[in-house]
Amino acid sequence: MEYKITMPQLTDTMETGKIVRWLKKEGDFVEENEPILEVETDKAVMEVPSFRSGVLKEILVEEGEEVPVGTQIAIVQTEIEKKEETTPKETKEEKEEITISIPQESQEEGQKLPEGTASPSAKRLARELGIDIKIYQEKGLLPIPAHEKDIKELFYKNFFDKDALELIKRYSLSLEEIVKHLKKEKITKKDVLEFIQENNIPQILPISDIQLKVIENLKKSTSIPVFHIYEQIKTGNLPKVEDITLTVWIIKILGDTMQNHYRTRVKLEENIYKIYPNSNICIAVAIEEELFMPVIKKVNKKTLREIALELKILKEKAQSKRLSLDDITGSTFSISNLGMFDILSFDAIIPPQRVGIVAIGTQKRGKTKVTFSFDHRVINGREAALFVDEFKKRFTDTDYLNNLKEEPLNKDLSQS
Amino acid sequence: MLYREALNKALDEMMSRDSSVVLLGEDIGFYGGNYKVTEGLYARYGEKRVIDTPIAENTIVGTAIGMAIGGLRPVAEIMTVNFSLIAFDQIVNQLAKIRYMSGGKITLPMVIRMPQGVAKQLAAQHSQSLERLFASIPGLRVLVASDATTAYYGLKFAISTDDPVIFLEHLLLYPEKMEIEEEKHFSPYRARIKKEGEGITIISYLKMLHDTLKAVPTIEKELDTTCEVIDLCSINPLDVETISKSVKKTKRLVVITEEPKTGSYANEILNKVLEEVFYELDAPPLKIGAEDVPTPYNRTLELASIPTPEKIAKQIIIWGRKHGI
Amino acid sequence: MNKSYAEQFYYLMKLGRVFELRAKEEYMKGNIGGFLHLAIGEEAVHVGSVLGFGKGDVFVHYREHVYALAKGIEPKYIMAELFGKITGVSKGKGGSMHLYDPKFNFYGGNAIVGAYIPHAVGTAFARKYMGDTTGVLVAFGDGATNSGNFFESINTASKWEVPVLFLCENNYYAIGTRIDRVSPFVDLYKKAKDYMPAKQVDGMNIFEVFDAVKKAKEYIESEGKPYFIEALTYRYEPHSITDTGDYRSPRELKIAKEKDPIENLKAIALREGLLTEDYIKFVDDKVKQIVEDAVEFAISSPEPPLEELYKDVFCEVCIDVVS
Ligand SMILES: Cc1ncc(C[n+]2csc(CCOP(=O)(O)OP(=O)(O)O)c2C)c(N)n1
Ligand SMILES: [Mg+2]
Repeated sequence: MEYKITMPQLTDTMETGKIVRWLKKEGDFVEENEPILEVETDKAVMEVPSFRSGVLKEILVEEGEEVPVGTQIAIVQTEIEKKEETTPKETKEEKEEITISIPQESQEEGQKLPEGTASPSAKRLARELGIDIKIYQEKGLLPIPAHEKDIKELFYKNFFDKDALELIKRYSLSLEEIVKHLKKEKITKKDVLEFIQENNIPQILPISDIQLKVIENLKKSTSIPVFHIYEQIKTGNLPKVEDITLTVWIIKILGDTMQNHYRTRVKLEENIYKIYPNSNICIAVAIEEELFMPVIKKVNKKTLREIALELKILKEKAQSKRLSLDDITGSTFSISNLGMFDILSFDAIIPPQRVGIVAIGTQKRGKTKVTFSFDHRVINGREAALFVDEFKKRFTDTDYLNNLKEEPLNKDLSQS
Repeated sequence: MLYREALNKALDEMMSRDSSVVLLGEDIGFYGGNYKVTEGLYARYGEKRVIDTPIAENTIVGTAIGMAIGGLRPVAEIMTVNFSLIAFDQIVNQLAKIRYMSGGKITLPMVIRMPQGVAKQLAAQHSQSLERLFASIPGLRVLVASDATTAYYGLKFAISTDDPVIFLEHLLLYPEKMEIEEEKHFSPYRARIKKEGEGITIISYLKMLHDTLKAVPTIEKELDTTCEVIDLCSINPLDVETISKSVKKTKRLVVITEEPKTGSYANEILNKVLEEVFYELDAPPLKIGAEDVPTPYNRTLELASIPTPEKIAKQIIIWGRKHGI
Repeated sequence: MNKSYAEQFYYLMKLGRVFELRAKEEYMKGNIGGFLHLAIGEEAVHVGSVLGFGKGDVFVHYREHVYALAKGIEPKYIMAELFGKITGVSKGKGGSMHLYDPKFNFYGGNAIVGAYIPHAVGTAFARKYMGDTTGVLVAFGDGATNSGNFFESINTASKWEVPVLFLCENNYYAIGTRIDRVSPFVDLYKKAKDYMPAKQVDGMNIFEVFDAVKKAKEYIESEGKPYFIEALTYRYEPHSITDTGDYRSPRELKIAKEKDPIENLKAIALREGLLTEDYIKFVDDKVKQIVEDAVEFAISSPEPPLEELYKDVFCEVCIDVVS
């Protein structure tokens, strides 16, 4: 007959016990009630007896181990033939997560509450909003009792049309305030707009990360010593080529001009000038409220069509916010064109790490005003003047322009 | 560290700092305390300062009062709160009133420490929470130590204040492992926000605080809200401000005690807080407590008689659904 | 001393011992919870006093299994109570410390030290008031003699002249505190001797306990006055199921165990021819069987249904008073 020794419950609060020492070895004989092991509990170390005499057949849990109360820890082989030991009940492991069952819809409907019943805070809100809880409850539009969230919901549904709610959300307005202010049955977008104007409420727009970068860069730019050259170029006589916009012409002509003026291909770094061989130009592109500066590289080597196609791709990428780092780095000169906005002339800020920018106004009677800004640390006045002069002259050099126009479509454009 | 060791540390530090601090109680000296709170102190401070008393609770409190009059700062241990009932004349008629009756001329800087609550199958006479009794006696400060931090700092404060303090511990917390959090500034009479939330404010303390924290994830999941759990820390005075502030935010209040619901200390909390926040409430406050019966011995009945994490979760969820959460 | 008494002594003491050891085993298995105060070593006092007292009400402390058995409560109902089952003497609501059965004049089972001593005085008053001269037995530990309840009760009983037998079981310890740490003297009968006849007996010898109690009972009933007996004894087990400290030396325990009341009885009774080896063997087997059956009964008994939680708080729900 086997007698199972389990981790004993030794105190009223004990849940687990640690085996400190076995006082008997396997094979030893134990008397009834003779101590067989020492156990450490939540209170102290205590001796535990075997309640049957017999031979300690097997030790199942070693010294130093901690096990829950009720775990079998040893077997004593008893000689006395007796009826089956009652197996100790399984001690349930203390679960960390609790499990509960909730009666779905405890429908112990007591007597019905009268209309007009609502929580204190619901009543207060309703009062502020001028809602008569009782009337809406009678119509079945509010539950009984009504809670704050019911009043709010009713409010959304009944007092505002959809567009008005949208506007309210955009301006983060308080519904309660508007209602208090407007005191109307149904509030429309127009009402809200009036409210906004009357109270001169600003719309708060979070600034995107990219835009924050732009702002930061622009801030840096303002610390650069800058000078300007104002000129007028003839753009009315450019050859007509399908799909080639004025911007593309300007990019190409600027790129070619830059080839003869190395200082426009410089990047200023600490104590050195880095002079790049190619004319890489960035173009300011505004998408909704954000400004991007994608770069067209090696303009000097590209045809008008290639430039046009690349510009299109870059604009699309900007639109879908897919511009890569490579797409926006590596230029030395910039173009900002506000020609499409009927602006005569303006002054652009040099983006950081660029030596200059040309701001392009609108074409009037075949002429377009351009404003060049230069970083004086890289380019001096004379150099700038020569550069601008050549740029200007190219617009009237028909051979050159026709030549550009003739050029066939180049091979692959996979690089863009 | 164990909860009981945090108490021991506080006693030890106060004793080493001030020789007028003496301990007295049953089995606290040579034996080390029935729940081991005073373990090692007898060896360190001797029998003159760690005094084994006869089983005479009335006399324990009475002599402690006399010691306080005589210039000592006694810390009396009543083995469990159940036996404090024997000392009620001393506590209620003497301890709570002497300062007032003497026009403030006599102060009684002393502490009565005792564990309370339902442990495991100790039956009716050994399974009670009695904070409501102490709370309702003007002249007694009543603190509840729900974790090692409040146990440690709270007890040190209780010993150093000149007011008489009833310091309540919980039987089931003694062997619990917890740490004392470093506190630069400890406000003994302030409730502590154990967990922040937006939808329901739940007040509890001692073992119920731990059960509440176990129930909270289920409640939050089922009701799709968040709970703010507050450890009351002080029964008298009651920190109405902290609770009201929380309820103004959540608009819903639940108070959980281990006392039987009728006349429980939850009533006092609800009353005082409701006076402040009534118009802000979005649901009737919920009181969770033990059944109005003496605690039974049988484990199943015993668990049925007191709040458990499961029952707390269930009651709050049903209540929440009924009241528009 | 006659043979049938000796047989009863042996049977009840052995039953108590085996019952409690089995209860301890079941506790360790987790079938019994809470506190479990064992009287192993003290059986001579518990059995000897109940038998010596005979008819009459009994009030005792939380270490009361053997008193209850000696009073005649069936082991299986006690075991079922320890298991917290509905078939237990207190329907599973009281547990080890709260065995009650008025059918056997047994009034607990009390977990508050000393609190029930005045109950015994009051019950004796009531019995006397109603013309019943039967005495009341109240037993308590050495620790309890330091309580106000004790002192107040001996004074009151003495003044009221009620038939109470105060039985102090001096086992020298109150939990982990030895009596001399908390009492100016250790001969505890001295605490009562100016109020009533007071006597000290060897509590490890059941004959001595029995005789003293029997005489005391005769005294209280014939005189209608209280009496005090201090029985020197020893508990072999920790205070409750466990202790948290070593406050007794192994040597002290060993000496105490050499005076084992059951062995003591066996030796005397065999010597004097009051018991036979056969009878002893018969009883040993018999009580084992009884206790096994009690455990079996407890295990197979149902748990109290949930409604029980709310029952027994009051006698009636609510009644109107009609004049
Ligand atoms: C009024 C009261 N105080 C304290 C306790 C805790 N307690 C339980 S038993 C005990 C010791 C009692 O010793 P004693 O009277 O000698 O009885 P014994 O346990 O030795 O049989 C104590 C202090 C209690 N139950 N009641
Ligand atoms: Mg004793």
